[in-house]
Amino acid sequence: MSKKAILSLTVLLLVVAGLLPVLSMLLKSMVVNCSFSLEAYKGVLTSSRQWKLMGNSLKLASLVTMLTVVAGVPTGLVLEKTDLPLRGLLIPFFVVPLLIPPYILAVSWADLLGRDGLLAHSFGYSPALTNLLFGLPGCVFVLFSIFLPIPILLTTAFLRTIDPGLEEAGRLVTGWWGVIRGITLPLIMPGILLSAMLVFLLSFGEFSVPTFLRYQVYPVESFTQFSAFYNFKAATASALPLALVTLLLLFGETFFLKKHTYQLRPSPHHQGSLRIELKGHKPWVFALITGLVAVLVVVPIVVLVLQSGGLQWYQEAMRRAGFSLVRSVIYAAIGATLLTVLGFLTGYIVQRRALSCWRYVDSLTLFLFALPSTVVGIGLVSLWNTPWTNLIYGTPVIIIMGYLAKYTALASRILVTQLAQVPLSLEEAAQIAGAKWPRRMLFIITPLSRKGLAVCWVVGYLFALRDTGITMLVYPPGLETLPVRIYTLMANGSPQLVAALCMIMISVTVLPMALWLIPQRKGLDEGCRV
Amino acid sequence: MKVVEFKAVSKSYNGTRVLKDIDFQVEKGERLILLGPSGCGKTTILRLIAGFIAPDQGSIEIGGRVVSEPGRIVVPPEERNLGMVFQDLALWPHLSVKGNLEFGLKAKGFSKAERDQRIEKMLEMVGLREYANRKPGELSGGQQQRVALARALVLEPTVMLMDEPLSSLDTELNIRLRREVIALHKSLGFTMIYVTHDREEAFEIATRVMVMSEGEIVKVGSVKEVRNSLTSISPLIPS
Repeated sequence: MSKKAILSLTVLLLVVAGLLPVLSMLLKSMVVNCSFSLEAYKGVLTSSRQWKLMGNSLKLASLVTMLTVVAGVPTGLVLEKTDLPLRGLLIPFFVVPLLIPPYILAVSWADLLGRDGLLAHSFGYSPALTNLLFGLPGCVFVLFSIFLPIPILLTTAFLRTIDPGLEEAGRLVTGWWGVIRGITLPLIMPGILLSAMLVFLLSFGEFSVPTFLRYQVYPVESFTQFSAFYNFKAATASALPLALVTLLLLFGETFFLKKHTYQLRPSPHHQGSLRIELKGHKPWVFALITGLVAVLVVVPIVVLVLQSGGLQWYQEAMRRAGFSLVRSVIYAAIGATLLTVLGFLTGYIVQRRALSCWRYVDSLTLFLFALPSTVVGIGLVSLWNTPWTNLIYGTPVIIIMGYLAKYTALASRILVTQLAQVPLSLEEAAQIAGAKWPRRMLFIITPLSRKGLAVCWVVGYLFALRDTGITMLVYPPGLETLPVRIYTLMANGSPQLVAALCMIMISVTVLPMALWLIPQRKGLDEGCRV
Repeated sequence: MKVVEFKAVSKSYNGTRVLKDIDFQVEKGERLILLGPSGCGKTTILRLIAGFIAPDQGSIEIGGRVVSEPGRIVVPPEERNLGMVFQDLALWPHLSVKGNLEFGLKAKGFSKAERDQRIEKMLEMVGLREYANRKPGELSGGQQQRVALARALVLEPTVMLMDEPLSSLDTELNIRLRREVIALHKSLGFTMIYVTHDREEAFEIATRVMVMSEGEIVKVGSVKEVRNSLTSISPLIPS
């Protein structure tokens, strides 16, 4: 098969998994009795309740974005640019909340601060504290803790792309504060903006945390119309504004990045960037950063451990959700493998500009990632729920399709970065030597990208494992995953059982990450010694 | 006998014409040097011959066969039977020296016995027999250069393209390797198109020199002819 055929099939798969469902959903919502109608949309636009919910969603997303960027960018700077002790170890800790289903953190904080929570048992019930949690402040806080890793990771990643010479030139004329303000921050501005946009869209589309913490937001409306009333047209009409906000922000980001993106590639001859010496500030900065990790990561996990009680609750959890756990791991492994292949080919299209439509492919993956899960989920149901496509709709294939639609952007972005480090001349040398494209991909590009492929698989696995939004809408009867099982048990299961299930979920997410990170760090240390 | 022929070839990048109606031919067995300052279009000519890019106007022939037409690659690079030494060498870091040489032979369907025989002969020629199992990262700059040469030559290409292959080396090594390139050429008799901006390197290696400036050919001739016209073209080429 030729290069063009394989890459075109990749694009086709992406279109079938992600774009067609969304288009099909839109089309169906505009057809009533075989004729065009906007009746469903009228209801959405004229309802004051809908506008109020939209206002709540925008308020929530804006506050979460503001807080995460204000806290995340300085944290990223400290972790990447200073001589803070243990900074390499702290980053994986910050990432943990992003890798587990969002509502688990909400459950944990409710277990601590709720009416029957641990604090109420120890110090007496405080309605003020509970009211704070169940409402806008609680939602903002929980989502802040979940999405804080995004600006931290993007800040550190963009900082690594800066040629150290640019900062060194600045240091000759001004102090670190001046360099950070005048050189570093403007250079990483696209990364900061990208993180702000992602946090905004992810908090805007998130419904499990607001539902649990009883703060009414817009995505819940779409979800409820679909899952509770099965009013497909109303659900689609409610989902449309979510898609519009996503598109609007993506256009805004593209417009800004056109003007503010710089070619940032550290010189290969450089000895590494300068570090800011914290000197006397080290103790309080260290206390602040570790304190943040303790509050946002350690406390929720400790609360769940305490709440889950003894071993009997874990046994009960495995009895009631053991199969869901196995299914979760299998679906996530299959999803991650397919995501790696799709992300590799998509990344190749984008990085090598291998098809003329590469820019649209890149935008499509980002659009699907930013689109609220409810929209992707309803779209998949709309397209595949027919008597002829039961092989997809009635089987876990539809869940895997959801993973591909939603998370290809992550896989693709990781591999674009990896492929940028494989010089084009290596591929051209193989071509001159007589190797056709599949051979070049298999024997030259793949082995040289193995690290990126491994990272891509792990990230794909973790995101597929934590997915709740899409899976909850599309899973075939009796084939639910662990996050969905926990979410449904939250309504009628005991707090101990739910906490035990949450801890199992955290373990299957965090343990593989830790097992993968330990040899990585060892290898890194050995590499440094060499 | 003509091996490569450019017929009124033009090429632009982002609206800037980097080659302007270029016509030239390369004869079998000659060492043609493309000499000129950075940005004059030398590397673009190599990439057009290799088939990595297509011309905007004109056509390119290799061995009497049209391989590229305006906007179209007629024969893809892997089917042109060319060898190329890249400026950054482009040695595959995950493959051993032997693996680097073997890759193209495998792609072209040579048997194991024939591959081994060719690789051994070529490594012997470039003096790297005992380094066959080393990775490129474990070799010195000069050794890497020889691997790149051997990798290109092991396929017995019709034309050998060399894109400033010695530019990153120190003067002493540069001079030594120039002589090795000439010796290899004499013993194997391949056709060579060699890009450089170094006048001395060009005059030592060439059997014919093509001087370029701003996308145009300003002088073509033997080393002697180009040397004699140095006063008129010298502002165009670095010393």
